[in-house]
Amino acid sequence: MNLKKKYNIIGICIILLCCVGFTAVIKPFVQEVTVLEKPKTSFVAGKEVVLDFRLSKKVTTRLFIHSSFGSTLLMSSTGRFILPTSISEKKGIISYTLFLGTKKLAKGEIIIEPNLKTPLQLESYVGPPSIIAGGKDYTMQVVIAKDGYDNPLPDSTAIWLKHQFLNIEKEETVLSKDMIGWQNRFSYDQSGRLLLSSQVNAKISKEFSVEVFPSLPEDFEINSIRKHNYADGNQIVELMTSVLKDQYGNIISDGTWVTYNVIDAKGALLKTQGSTVNGVAVAKILHPDHKDTWKIKAYVPGIAESNTITIAFEPVIEDYPIEFRMQNREIVVGPLSSFMNQLIPNGALVEVKIINENHQIETLTKSTFEGKAKFVLKKEFYPSGIYDIHIKALGVHKEFKQLPLE
Amino acid sequence: MDKFTNKYLISALLIGIVFHGTSIFFTLESTYDALIHLFFGNHYANDWFESWNYSWYTGFTVLGYPPLVHQSIGLLSYIGGLKFGLFSVAIIAVILFITGVYRFALVLTSNRVVAGYAAIFAVFSSSFIETLHIFGQLPSVVGISILLHALPEIYLWVKIGKYRYLWNSLSLIAVTVTSHHVTPIFGMVFFIFPLLGMVIMDASKEKVGSYQQVRLRIFLKTFLSSFKRIITFGIGSLVLIIFCILPYWINTKNNPITQVPIPHGSRDNFLEVTSSGLVFFLIPWGILLLLFPYIWYRFFSKRYLFFGLSITLLTVLGSGGTTPIPRMLLGENAFNILTLDRFTLWASIMALPILGEFTYRFVEGDIKEKNIKKYGAVYHRVLGGLFAGGVLFMIIFTMSLGYFRPLQPQKIKMLPILNFLKQDQHDHWRYLPLGFGDQMAWLSSQTNAMTVDGNYHSARRLPELTTRAVERLENSKYRGIEGIGSLQQFLTVPEKYNLKYVFSNDKFYDPILFFCGWQRLRQLENGIMVWEKLNVPPLSNILPKDDVPTFQKMMWGIIPVLTVLLAFIINIQFIWIHALKSKQVGFPAYFKFKSYYTGLTNTVYTTSYLWAILMIILFGIGSYRIYIKNAAQINPDNAIKAYYDALDMKRYKAAHSYLDPKSNKTLDQYMLEVAVTDGLLSSYAKLDDMSVETISRSDSTARIKIYTQWVTPLEKIDKTFYHELVKRNRKWFIQPLAYDLDIPPDQLFATNKTFFYNHGRRRITSEQTYHEDVLKQPVLEVLSAKIIQNQDQYSIVGELQNVDNVPADVTITGVLYNNNDDQLASYNVKHQIKHKLIPKEITSFKIDFENIAWLNNEEAKPKIFDPDQFTPIHFDENPVTFNLQCVGNVATVDLFKGLVINELNIEGEQVNGVLFNSGLQEATIPQLLVSYYNKDKALIWMDHSFLSQGIRPQRKQYFTYTLADISKVKNINDTMDNILVNGLPNALISKKLVPNRKEDYAATQLIPIQGKGFHYIKIEVNAYVGNP
Repeated sequence: MNLKKKYNIIGICIILLCCVGFTAVIKPFVQEVTVLEKPKTSFVAGKEVVLDFRLSKKVTTRLFIHSSFGSTLLMSSTGRFILPTSISEKKGIISYTLFLGTKKLAKGEIIIEPNLKTPLQLESYVGPPSIIAGGKDYTMQVVIAKDGYDNPLPDSTAIWLKHQFLNIEKEETVLSKDMIGWQNRFSYDQSGRLLLSSQVNAKISKEFSVEVFPSLPEDFEINSIRKHNYADGNQIVELMTSVLKDQYGNIISDGTWVTYNVIDAKGALLKTQGSTVNGVAVAKILHPDHKDTWKIKAYVPGIAESNTITIAFEPVIEDYPIEFRMQNREIVVGPLSSFMNQLIPNGALVEVKIINENHQIETLTKSTFEGKAKFVLKKEFYPSGIYDIHIKALGVHKEFKQLPLE
Repeated sequence: MDKFTNKYLISALLIGIVFHGTSIFFTLESTYDALIHLFFGNHYANDWFESWNYSWYTGFTVLGYPPLVHQSIGLLSYIGGLKFGLFSVAIIAVILFITGVYRFALVLTSNRVVAGYAAIFAVFSSSFIETLHIFGQLPSVVGISILLHALPEIYLWVKIGKYRYLWNSLSLIAVTVTSHHVTPIFGMVFFIFPLLGMVIMDASKEKVGSYQQVRLRIFLKTFLSSFKRIITFGIGSLVLIIFCILPYWINTKNNPITQVPIPHGSRDNFLEVTSSGLVFFLIPWGILLLLFPYIWYRFFSKRYLFFGLSITLLTVLGSGGTTPIPRMLLGENAFNILTLDRFTLWASIMALPILGEFTYRFVEGDIKEKNIKKYGAVYHRVLGGLFAGGVLFMIIFTMSLGYFRPLQPQKIKMLPILNFLKQDQHDHWRYLPLGFGDQMAWLSSQTNAMTVDGNYHSARRLPELTTRAVERLENSKYRGIEGIGSLQQFLTVPEKYNLKYVFSNDKFYDPILFFCGWQRLRQLENGIMVWEKLNVPPLSNILPKDDVPTFQKMMWGIIPVLTVLLAFIINIQFIWIHALKSKQVGFPAYFKFKSYYTGLTNTVYTTSYLWAILMIILFGIGSYRIYIKNAAQINPDNAIKAYYDALDMKRYKAAHSYLDPKSNKTLDQYMLEVAVTDGLLSSYAKLDDMSVETISRSDSTARIKIYTQWVTPLEKIDKTFYHELVKRNRKWFIQPLAYDLDIPPDQLFATNKTFFYNHGRRRITSEQTYHEDVLKQPVLEVLSAKIIQNQDQYSIVGELQNVDNVPADVTITGVLYNNNDDQLASYNVKHQIKHKLIPKEITSFKIDFENIAWLNNEEAKPKIFDPDQFTPIHFDENPVTFNLQCVGNVATVDLFKGLVINELNIEGEQVNGVLFNSGLQEATIPQLLVSYYNKDKALIWMDHSFLSQGIRPQRKQYFTYTLADISKVKNINDTMDNILVNGLPNALISKKLVPNRKEDYAATQLIPIQGKGFHYIKIEVNAYVGNP
């Protein structure tokens, strides 16, 4: 108990001691201090910015400064404040307030001007990097002339904007406003490469390039190239556009999509496509394997279209032999011959439909090998009976009715 | 205690360290789990007290797994790197295990020779070999080993009651807890309870003189007298289990595992799934299978009675889904979460002392005498030889399992990937490895870059993953619909996860990457293909994390290592005395209860023989049945199945051997035919199922129809093939199918084509890309777009044109809103679009609003794989308005546009046609995009179809497409006010770029058809080029 009491007393003493001590320190003192002379208000970036306050008494004061880059608090016992370089190197308005304790002694603003004596710097931007020919689309060139401390030069600084396109080389002057000088550079009618640069006094910028793409293609013509006119299902037709150009005569961009609609004699819509190289889009399509007439028209979707051409394919064959062997269980179609009476190239499709009592059992397909296709109807799978057989190859259709299979 | 060193134990340790210590260098890295533990070790090595790991799953907490083993790897990695840490810990685990088994056997049998034999068998235990060398479960092994070390101390505490033993045992329990959480909890039940039973039995015996006289009353009385000690130990271990890994329990409570059960082989019916039976029953039991009667006979002797109950329970639980008992015992929930292989592991470890005892009796005890007396010495030696042979066979078989049936893809050289991730700020995005197996953890350990995937599925948080029974995205092809479905969601909306790079080690995934709009960047020198997605923003500098209080982090970082130190200090005396025999000490208390091995009853002797013979017969029958099932040419069905299996495994030589030898199809010709076929079916499909139907059959011929189901990354393909078979020389052979005889017209031909190249950065600098190196985004124009409702599914369909002068890669995000402009759903276009458009090219597109499949647990999951199937989002309110954000980026690759529609016939609902490849590259997977229009020629629906075979240049391919029934399709909204292209309004672009659009163009592309709900269709073609 005693011990506890003792501790309590000691504790209370310590607290009392603290209270007295602190009260003594915190005790306010009133001093009348006035600012006799305020500092000058204009400075140049990068030079030392010294704010001199002449005070009526020598006391320690604090200066709160605020610029667009941030705020800070400086302390001085002489009334002389040196701004840190992070603030003094930046152009702009700086506001300050001088404090004695919590009391405001003075308030004001200073202006820091860009330093024209330092070497000039240029910051330049160009975009977008690609535009379309024809004078409607443009790219924007923006130039910011700056002093050595990255401060934009004052408005109305003269900026030369230069560009080169084909054999045009031009130079214009704009005056900077709101820190930047800029211009919209509209495209010319031709496609090509636009090079841009700028200059302020002796300082020159790097080179910027802007791609001027051709405008939309105009309508065009198409034609076809064939090895022969026969419907052999093997050779390839090449379809080709004329050189696609825009309304200003520029050859349209490489890789432009051209789609060809091919409408066959039955009205089915076949499709092929190509992409342009030097304005010409080539598409390929296989010859049909039967007599046909194609109407072909090409499009750049929604933008341009071609004339319609018609190409006809003659049949390679009017008829072909069919041989039934082994009590009709082996059917040999062919030899299929082509227009010069040569064997048709391997791979012509032969289709055999097997029909029993008006009910189609199966469709067998085979491609020809050395002009022939052989079908074997095994007894295990096709029991003896009467069958109808339909054979189709190269657009020629043949029917054999009531064929007995042993 | 005997002052002679136990030479059996020393041999076991030496052999164990040499055998396991050298072989881990060839096995451990390709085990299932070792690299995961390595990854965790790396985590602790990098930041010991951090509980959050950003590398996997968009961040996860490591508090979900007791850290001791991982932290040990981390600590040792400071000496010699991560792998050094891993191997060192593995070797320590081996030592702990062998000594643990020795001590366990000693307490059980009180015979140092028997315990020595048990230690030798511990080295060669097939379940231990499997757990270490195939599964790589280090924490589990360490946990059980330490628990075994604790058992003698627990015995002595309960028997003698000296506090020293209590501290010893509790300190060891603490180490067990911090190395593996499941081991002490179940170990309590399966090891410690029976041990306590044995102690009480021993104490009772002391009272009454022999085990025979111990009755229930005496047993209970003894139990009550020891109750205080038991309860002290019980409470002590409970406190340790809770306290030592307190952050784990807090984490478990706060983040309950939401992961749906992931199938595990140990839960299979081992009789049905024989591979699981092999791995989870036959191998772990190994040679013990032959000794079942002896093991049970011994364990059901009175002293070991409780161990008998325990091993019985363990055996039953370890049998997985073979019987319904484990499911009933554990309950549905625990059954689906626990991997049951651990029960078999524990059972087999529990049986080791008995195996040791048997060997002792067989080698130098009464069984030997009996054998010699009954059948002679030669017989005994032969029997011994056979037994040893069986043990060796099991060891070699288990060790080589990983060699003959690789569990993992070939070892991947990680350096090129690491270099790629380091270069050019590639690690500012997430990446996804595909086809890496468990090596993905090794990759993650070495890079700062993060992945959306991961290899510790309990820690997952993204609902896209937790709702799927998918182990990893990386191997999703083995997980059917759920796997591919998960993967597709990540690949379709990669922006959501800042996922920009995919490392593909399995070309199976390439098509899905392509059709989701990804493009190949380049192949690294280790053969890994890097895919990238344009228009994905980089990760923010500050990523979200679930922080935990500092005290938890401190506990997690300090306690585990502290438990080891404490255990070491507390047990050092024991180690010192026992290992170095520095002091003569008395035998421990349990040595009083030594069994004397005499008089094995004839019943047991005979039963054991019969059982072993039965086992061998069963083994023989099993092998024979497997042979018959696989004997390929016994009947037509087998021949066909074998043929397709061979095709699926790409064993073409074997496939050719099933072809009719009289068909003149030489192997060369066959290989050539195979070499020229490519496409979805032959290059990107896995055979999932097949069923065979015999159409007709005679003695020597048969006609067979085979239905095959193939899993591809894009869709399920059902294909029916017809084959004719002939019987020659009592073997069935397949008649080869006809192959494409078509001859292209040109031997050599030339085509002009525009290629593009984008420098990326033109300056070699680590700064941000200079603004003049950034290309303008290609301008796209949306020609039409609308919300369409088809039954309960909402979609946005539309058409879009690249109106710029450069090729564009297109990403479209659609957002649906309700009446109050509240967002209902947002999704990207997946594969119903041409993602790459050359200048002025048009594509139709459809965005399906896909939900995370089966978010609702009650929904029935389909049993069969169907990657094409998807779960439409269920809307509580009806979508009324929509917006579209289309983004174009300059594309320079995958601009193949060579497919031509060369023939077209429409018969009813069938569109038949011929595609012709006019380009210079093989179109590996051609895709048809079919748009449906109403009678006003307005787009109302879109559909797609993949062709299963590729088309080589100048070749053609027949296709058939069945038109859809869209009579229920409803147009909800077609106002195009809220469509943005590269952030600018679409209307503005329309006006500026193509002011005088020829509106009649669209109609020229349409094919009139009277269909169900539509009047016209349009067909567009797109193709994936596998080898550009």
